[in-house]
Amino acid sequence: MTDADLDASDPRTLPGFFDALADGDLLGGVCGDCGQVLLPPRPTCYACGSRAVAVEPQSPRGEIFTYTAVHTPPPAFAADAPYTVAVVELADGGRLLGRVDADYDDVSIGDPVELAVREPTADEREIALDYEEDWPVHVFEPR
Amino acid sequence: MPEPVIASVGASPLGRTELPGRDLFSVALAEAFDGLPDPADVVEAVYVGNQSETYEHQIMTGTLLAEWAGLRHVPAERVEGCAAAGALALRHAVKDVRNGEHDAVLACGVEKMTSAGTAGATDALSAAFDRAIEQRSGVTAPSQYALLAQRYLHETDATERDLAEIAVKNHANAARNPRAQFPKEIDVDTVLDSTPVAPPLKLYDCAPVGDGAAAVLVTSAELAAELDGPQVRVAGSGASANNIAVAERDMTDIAGARIAAETAYEEAGVDAADVDIAEVHDAFTVCEALLSEAVGFAPEGLGYQSYLPPEERADGWTDVRVSPSGGLKARGHPIGATGLLQALEAYEQLTGAAGDRAVDGAETALLLNEGGVADAVTVGHVLTTAEAP
Repeated sequence: MTDADLDASDPRTLPGFFDALADGDLLGGVCGDCGQVLLPPRPTCYACGSRAVAVEPQSPRGEIFTYTAVHTPPPAFAADAPYTVAVVELADGGRLLGRVDADYDDVSIGDPVELAVREPTADEREIALDYEEDWPVHVFEPR
Repeated sequence: MPEPVIASVGASPLGRTELPGRDLFSVALAEAFDGLPDPADVVEAVYVGNQSETYEHQIMTGTLLAEWAGLRHVPAERVEGCAAAGALALRHAVKDVRNGEHDAVLACGVEKMTSAGTAGATDALSAAFDRAIEQRSGVTAPSQYALLAQRYLHETDATERDLAEIAVKNHANAARNPRAQFPKEIDVDTVLDSTPVAPPLKLYDCAPVGDGAAAVLVTSAELAAELDGPQVRVAGSGASANNIAVAERDMTDIAGARIAAETAYEEAGVDAADVDIAEVHDAFTVCEALLSEAVGFAPEGLGYQSYLPPEERADGWTDVRVSPSGGLKARGHPIGATGLLQALEAYEQLTGAAGDRAVDGAETALLLNEGGVADAVTVGHVLTTAEAP
């Protein structure tokens, strides 16, 4: 299949990626030329420009690379604040941003975490675009 | 190749104003064309830096502002790149003059950020982040930069107090800038004791929300000589886009800024040590530290010393003065206008019009404007009154 045939079932598109994530599978793009991990997957490698990107399962485990807490949220997330957000370096080399299910004061750089996936809440569906309504939400749990 | 120069500049008041965007532009345009012929007799094209249509529910700002300037039937368009929109507009104008397409182009920027309160601005700015992962996780501009700051404090000897000192320095500069949104000095405890916004960043680490417009007239050197005002050469221009998601970038080596600055230096035939003043994108205090390293002013890990006088900085630092205007932090940061306010400050510094805040002997300036988080998009310009090498 060439990229001209890309459709929403392909994990290199957002619907394809989130469909797999809803089933608990974190998929990454892996560049066939330079090995860069792309989260979410996409047809072209940002690191080297190659279009030889394969899709491979990624470990949900990783470590906190950097983190903060949002005290001044966008209006849609006002009820959640303050909430902790981090960039996590995953065991297979990709990095992904997400919320952390822990208080800011209980988090440090290097802490081990694991990605969990849940269905969007009614409030999250409310602010979602039509095509996002069923996309799952990922959260990092301390482990 | 014609040499582009800045022939005139103007700005509106900055901060919380009663004027809608188009009227802010009218004020900036009037200052820029004070003593000059009508814009219609000079300007051949218009670029408008503008972050978001949500503030005033208005796109087509190229068309609108060309009309408000009396410019019918010229090419005019809005340029979008979040907070880098202003410098992108300037860059387009510079390229049009350089390649001979136009003799005079108006680069302007406008933002009416206070129209929907802090919540409205927070929401509008969050659109600059990756929708699929980042926005859905609830990140904000301060929290994105806090992720960089946390990492910077982890990797270097810099402390929260050092970042606070950057804000103190920029407020002290703004106190001598009659254009500044916050022309007042503050002390370091005011920063350290201010409300947490996204730790380690606090309220006084963050540039304010505010309204503003700026207008910069870019012309050929020949035309500027006919207009008979002071002129500043735009000797170099560089731009770079990097990943939209901050997680996928190096968070302390701001590569896009390095590339944009080095491209501009190379075109201008200068290096970092030749730069006398710099207006860098201190949307958050940590930005000034990171950018000072990226553009070659400071050794790796020592950019946070930008607040110190040159003689007190570590070996390897240049003598550059950073953000004499007060920077985004205290001069103000009306998003789409910011890149042009940076150009305005450099123009005034290099033409002897900077009053009490003048940096003695300043000849060459670097402008560094970012959009999105850090180097999602970066634009660098070198402005100089020195002879071409």
